[in-house]
Amino acid sequence: MDSMPTREPYLRIRNLSKKFGAFTALDTVDLDIMPGEFVSFLGPSGCGKTTLLRAISGLDVQTTGSIHQGGRDISTLPVAKRDFGIVFQSYALFPNLTIKDNVAYGLVSTGAPRVEIDKRVKELLELVGLPEQAGKYPAQLSGGQQQRVALARALALSPGLLLLDEPLSALDARVRARLRGEIRDLQQRLKLTTIMVTHDQEEALTMSDRIVVMSHGRIEQVGTPDEIYGRPATAFVADFVGKMNFLEGRILTGKRANVGGAVLDFGEEVPLAEGAAVTVCLRPEDVVVRDIGEHSDNRLAVQVGVMEFIGNHFATTLHASGTNLNFSADFSINAVRDLGISSGATIEVALPPKRLRVFAQQRSATA
Amino acid sequence: MATETLILPDHPAAAAPLRQKLGRDDWIMRGAVVALGLWLIVTVLLPLWALLSKSFQAADGRFVGLANFQAYFANPALADSIWHSVWVSLLSTVICVLLAFVYAYGLTRTCMPGRGLFRIIAQIPILAPSLLPAISLVYLFGNQGLVKWMLFGASIYGPIGIVMGEVFWTFPHALIIITTALAISDARLYEAAEALRASSHRTFWTVTIPGARYGLISAVFVVFTLVITDFGVPKVIGGKFNVLATDIYKQVVGQQNFQMGAVVGLILLLPAALAFVVDQLMQRRQLALLSARAVPYAPKPDATIDRAMLAICSLIAFAILVILGVSFFASIATFWPYNLTPSFKNFDFDMMDGGGWRSYFNSLLMAGLTALFGTAVIFTGAYLVEKTPRFRAIRGFVQFLALLPLAVPGLVLGLGYIFFFNNPANPLNFIYGTMAILVICTISHFYSVSHLTAVTALKQIDQEFEIVSASLRVPFWRTFMRVTLPVCLPAVLDIAMYLFVNAMTTVSAVVFIYAPHTTLAAIAVLNMDDAGDVAPAAAMAMVVFATAAVTRAVYMLLTQGYLARAQMWRKR
Repeated sequence: MDSMPTREPYLRIRNLSKKFGAFTALDTVDLDIMPGEFVSFLGPSGCGKTTLLRAISGLDVQTTGSIHQGGRDISTLPVAKRDFGIVFQSYALFPNLTIKDNVAYGLVSTGAPRVEIDKRVKELLELVGLPEQAGKYPAQLSGGQQQRVALARALALSPGLLLLDEPLSALDARVRARLRGEIRDLQQRLKLTTIMVTHDQEEALTMSDRIVVMSHGRIEQVGTPDEIYGRPATAFVADFVGKMNFLEGRILTGKRANVGGAVLDFGEEVPLAEGAAVTVCLRPEDVVVRDIGEHSDNRLAVQVGVMEFIGNHFATTLHASGTNLNFSADFSINAVRDLGISSGATIEVALPPKRLRVFAQQRSATA
Repeated sequence: MATETLILPDHPAAAAPLRQKLGRDDWIMRGAVVALGLWLIVTVLLPLWALLSKSFQAADGRFVGLANFQAYFANPALADSIWHSVWVSLLSTVICVLLAFVYAYGLTRTCMPGRGLFRIIAQIPILAPSLLPAISLVYLFGNQGLVKWMLFGASIYGPIGIVMGEVFWTFPHALIIITTALAISDARLYEAAEALRASSHRTFWTVTIPGARYGLISAVFVVFTLVITDFGVPKVIGGKFNVLATDIYKQVVGQQNFQMGAVVGLILLLPAALAFVVDQLMQRRQLALLSARAVPYAPKPDATIDRAMLAICSLIAFAILVILGVSFFASIATFWPYNLTPSFKNFDFDMMDGGGWRSYFNSLLMAGLTALFGTAVIFTGAYLVEKTPRFRAIRGFVQFLALLPLAVPGLVLGLGYIFFFNNPANPLNFIYGTMAILVICTISHFYSVSHLTAVTALKQIDQEFEIVSASLRVPFWRTFMRVTLPVCLPAVLDIAMYLFVNAMTTVSAVVFIYAPHTTLAAIAVLNMDDAGDVAPAAAMAMVVFATAAVTRAVYMLLTQGYLARAQMWRKR
């Protein structure tokens, strides 16, 4: 990849729609993916993320719209005429071929001499950390190893684009966590433009440069993991990524709302009229319990309800005294220990204005 | 619907859907699917069409509407056959399915000893032409029968003989279906029943039977179809008791009345087509019963049940062995039962009607060619139908053509072949009377089951192999040869085996289209029996059986030996 000052997107998706009969799986999607970027398509099942991947790979061509890859219009090209490597959740390794033959599969068809193929296979297996396994059959490897072989095979022809379709979903939690880092590391070393489809938000948050959150065939938000988690653009994103309190309230002024009898201040002005119904979003871990003083904004006296021990923290439910406001909060173990928080106790907490997200209540009206 | 078409013009912006450009693989695969479709049209659809149109024609080819059908139903001797066929088939079906259920229950749900042996013995009838049990029954209960007294004066020539012969011959077919249905039951249901303290009687009627009901229904229809369309047993032992299958033969071969043969053929098509539809529906439901989380049932020893089942299964197995044994001894005795000196005189086929040893070698050649070309065409065809991207309408039609032979009895197919290929106006007329037409007809006759075997195997392998290959720019045929075929090798060999054994033993379709120099072993059995050479007929039937049995045994050794080594990659 040359790094010109004005960077052109490597993948340019315009107006992409896919209809299956009366059902709209993708609804006028626009998306640019930069060279060398790792982008995740995140969303619940049926949100269109897999349909979008299948359109990019040519497995299921879109009904309308265009896709350009590296400046070339690939909208209607057959799969074999496109330029990508793909890794599936099922690995799809050829069970009757050795690891070496699996990785060499695409190379043999190029007509390259045997010596060169062997050299390249060795290189690829070293790249994914499996130099010792060349002679084995897929069934003799662990799931994580098989996934890495699939990756080596997909990279064999040095494709311009790597597609990962739920690549880690079939693995157990520990292997998954390790492979996350390995794949990301490999992608950055090769500076390879990569798209991953996943329904696992943790996967998307830890691996991606940018995340595309999708729902009902539309893109809800495109942003860095930090943006997606910290500043969700819609209530859907707020709900889907991470845990979130949804608190119903009404606007008092541009920077303040009445939420269940408690008055909460926001960090930013909200362009809504007085009395407008809003949803105030608050992450449980953003509830502050230490160092609360006179100067703290949105200070509330709350009664502690259920305290659930999760392992590395406590998940609690809180009730703001004298109001109808209930919400959940996550407290660290040491905060609970230091402050002596227990079920039934009354404590003081603060809801930092900058951490509150406010949405006009229109979720039901969007349809 | 109407509103939709009305609204459409209001959206001029709606652009036409994009169409993917076709790559080289797409062109080749689509071309091959179309070629397969044309092949099936010529070898299945057009012969059936010829049969259909023949039934509406007079002998000179004039269109006469339903006149042939009127003539058929006006003839009481012919119309009676319908009733004969129906009740004999029903009775055979009930007896066969009951026996097969008990036997299958013993095999899958008890710990009785010798289950492996019982399984093997039950497969014997499949390896022999249906003529063999009929011949044995004649030896046992015929006019000079060994144990004629057991019938208390009733005659074996007629419904009794037909029912006994058909039950023997269809037993393995019912057994395979019911064993499968019983084998895929969920152990958790039995544990639940036990925990709820249901009696074993109640558990049987509320868990076992409902779990196997689709298999049972499927078995009933399969057996009924096999019996009503079988020709071998009633031909040998039916005497003056006419059934539809023998009527076709008599009309066509005896009286050269092709129009009437076509009418009977169409009537015979009805139950087979019905059974086909029901069977398809049942199989879909049976599969749905077994969830991915089901735990396979493992029977626990129970002395009383195990002993009772052992007794019943031994009795059934004994009956099978007796029927096979009678033909065996009849063929190696000089003149059974009067002169029991062993002799090979009955194997001197060249001295009898029926084509002699040449028929046997013809059969071997025909079965070998059928297995070779049939497996190649059917497996490749199934691959194309399954894996060609998009192209849905044509693939669906070819799939329909591939399943069609399942609904067509062999006799009907064979008759269609005469009408279609023996027509001088047909450019393909030159293959009439050759080995080629026998092979083609036999492939078509047994196409569907082989196709389904291939499709099942193809569905079990990863659906993403083709996508990965395409993304690596490897042509599909290379993946087919290097991955799909080796991975599906067990299924491919199963298909070859199935085609070989059936080609060796079949009589029904080929009986109409063999020529003097292409007589077949199973047909020689028929003709020798017809000519009164019953012992040589039994001998030839035994030769066919031995060939099929040896092939099976070699196949089993191969799968355990060579295949086990060639398929090392399956091991963990």
